[in-house]
Amino acid sequence: MTNVLVVDDSRVSRMLSRQYILHKHPQWTIAEAASGEEAVDKLSDFTPDLILLDVNMPGMGGIAAVEKIREKCPDVHITLLTANVQDAVRERANLLGIHFAEKPITEACIDQIIASYES
Amino acid sequence: MFQLTELQHDALAEIFNLGVGQAAAAMSRIVNEEVTMSVPIVAFQNRAEVATTLDSPNERRICAIAQHFEGAFKTKTFLMFLEEKSLELVRLMVGQSLSMEELSEMEQEAMSEIGNIVLNSCMATLANISGRELQGSLPTYHVGTCNDILSHSDKEWDGVVLTLKIDFNIERHEIHGYVAFLLDLPAMNDLRDYIDAYLAKLTG
Amino acid sequence: MLKHSSHELQLPLLSSVIKAVRTGIIVFDQDQRIVLWNRWIEFHSRLKEEAVLGKTFAEVFPDMVNSRTHIALREALANSLASLISQTLHKAPFPLYINAANPDKGVLMQQAVHVMPLDVAGQPRHCLVQISDVSTAVARERKLREMAQELQSQTFVDGLTGIANRRRFDLHLEDEFRRAKRNASPLSLIMIDVDCFKNYNDNYGHQQGDECLTRIANALSSVLHRSRDLLARYGGEEFSVILPETTAEGAERVAESMRTVVEALALEHAYSHAAPHVTVSLGVSTLVPEHSSQTSHLIHTADRALYQAKHAGRNRVVVFSEPNKKTG
Repeated sequence: MTNVLVVDDSRVSRMLSRQYILHKHPQWTIAEAASGEEAVDKLSDFTPDLILLDVNMPGMGGIAAVEKIREKCPDVHITLLTANVQDAVRERANLLGIHFAEKPITEACIDQIIASYES
Repeated sequence: MFQLTELQHDALAEIFNLGVGQAAAAMSRIVNEEVTMSVPIVAFQNRAEVATTLDSPNERRICAIAQHFEGAFKTKTFLMFLEEKSLELVRLMVGQSLSMEELSEMEQEAMSEIGNIVLNSCMATLANISGRELQGSLPTYHVGTCNDILSHSDKEWDGVVLTLKIDFNIERHEIHGYVAFLLDLPAMNDLRDYIDAYLAKLTG
Repeated sequence: MLKHSSHELQLPLLSSVIKAVRTGIIVFDQDQRIVLWNRWIEFHSRLKEEAVLGKTFAEVFPDMVNSRTHIALREALANSLASLISQTLHKAPFPLYINAANPDKGVLMQQAVHVMPLDVAGQPRHCLVQISDVSTAVARERKLREMAQELQSQTFVDGLTGIANRRRFDLHLEDEFRRAKRNASPLSLIMIDVDCFKNYNDNYGHQQGDECLTRIANALSSVLHRSRDLLARYGGEEFSVILPETTAEGAERVAESMRTVVEALALEHAYSHAAPHVTVSLGVSTLVPEHSSQTSHLIHTADRALYQAKHAGRNRVVVFSEPNKKTG
């Protein structure tokens, strides 16, 4: 049983991710969070194997959230979703051992994320 | 473009880290929450590059607190935030919900004090290593585009800008602020001398 | 001769001015001892000049030792740095009272404090502290904010666009759902999401993003005419439309008009994956509510349709239909 946490301040983006993941793996369990802070809170009662994290969120952004998440779950597979992969962002992400995926959220994008997790 | 050696650059970053550490402690006492601040990036840039660093290529509005200094170091300094980020910071420090329109003169004053704390801390550490006296003005509050803010005596600044990117962390919120120092040639040379003196004392 | 006498006049005159100004003025010497304490501060602190002159900051204000103000004093003396102690971040730095005449009414005064280095000829640096009473300003601000918040909680209007807010939408949906249940009439819902809006905000700025949403709201509004139809701002970049007594076909027509009218705005969006201008995706669902039906079902199906619209490439309308397993 695989647990996935989808973190994005856009409700529709979360919905898209959820649908695409369930389409590929109908038996996986998906939880959502609308902000970095909510995501960190969620970890108290939900242990994800995979986290999809949008970079640009108000308040605690994606990258700050990764650092807090890593404190609680050092081994979880994290993929950052972003529309523009600036070098500075990518570098910092690589340092933290996390993966990248480019928006927009399409079926192909989610397939790629799942493939990267399963490998 | 003004350049420091890698060692001088590292020393400068460390000097500023000391300064912002003290600013963070002061801010923690004010809000009774842990406030941490770090200086991950120190850079020497021109005016156009600063706008890009601030993520302000489309003339997004910046909130800035300005102070000028004389004596050990003659410079005009700014603590800058993207407008919505400054609002977020004030909300965290003041603990109230506001909209941009409601940002009153008093919240501007709160921002001014935050700028005052950060800029004084940065400059105090520089002053200490220079061993010379420094006079600082009271803070003033400004809103405008990056170019508006960095104008000096009504002219666009065409000299070097020393920028520090500062990460503020309060209540699990991360806010990016930027400190900018307008440096003319004498100030740049002074800076280099102070850093060398600091290094000499360390390795001394 | 003239210079000498004007100088003689000056000092007593200045002294009177300092005593009389309606701002607190305290001057500390290099050792943090009080050397000037004007009448205003005497009155509001309830501390007489004779009692404090020559005493140190720590002796007169023991509760303020190592406070922001104390640190500012030290920095002014040591490093010649000026400091601002704002009234928003510090309610009452000094122990000063508004109505000092009445000792029982110990209401602390809200203060704005400026701490500045002072050069005194022939002596080490001193420090000047100026204190202003901002209590009335603070009280007024607080009142205004309370009023604004109360207004906000009572409102059904979205602050940015002026259309209905989520609260209004939820209530209206419940009302129309009950009515449709009673009359066995079709109730339609459209869920609308602006395509690639985050990219828009990130690249064009939030101010322009706000303007974009406002223009979209106005355009969507122009399509509706019936009194019980409602357009609302559902979320950050989401809108929703309630269409009572409307079939799926009717709702689809409205949705397509809305899609067209947004496209006709021709708002440039160089960072959209759907089109070079701002577009919306729309999901439509219709229900004739039965006894056990819930509003959540209507929203859920409209969401499914919206998902389909995004999946199929955005900038389009999809009407929800029960999935037919044979055609997928």
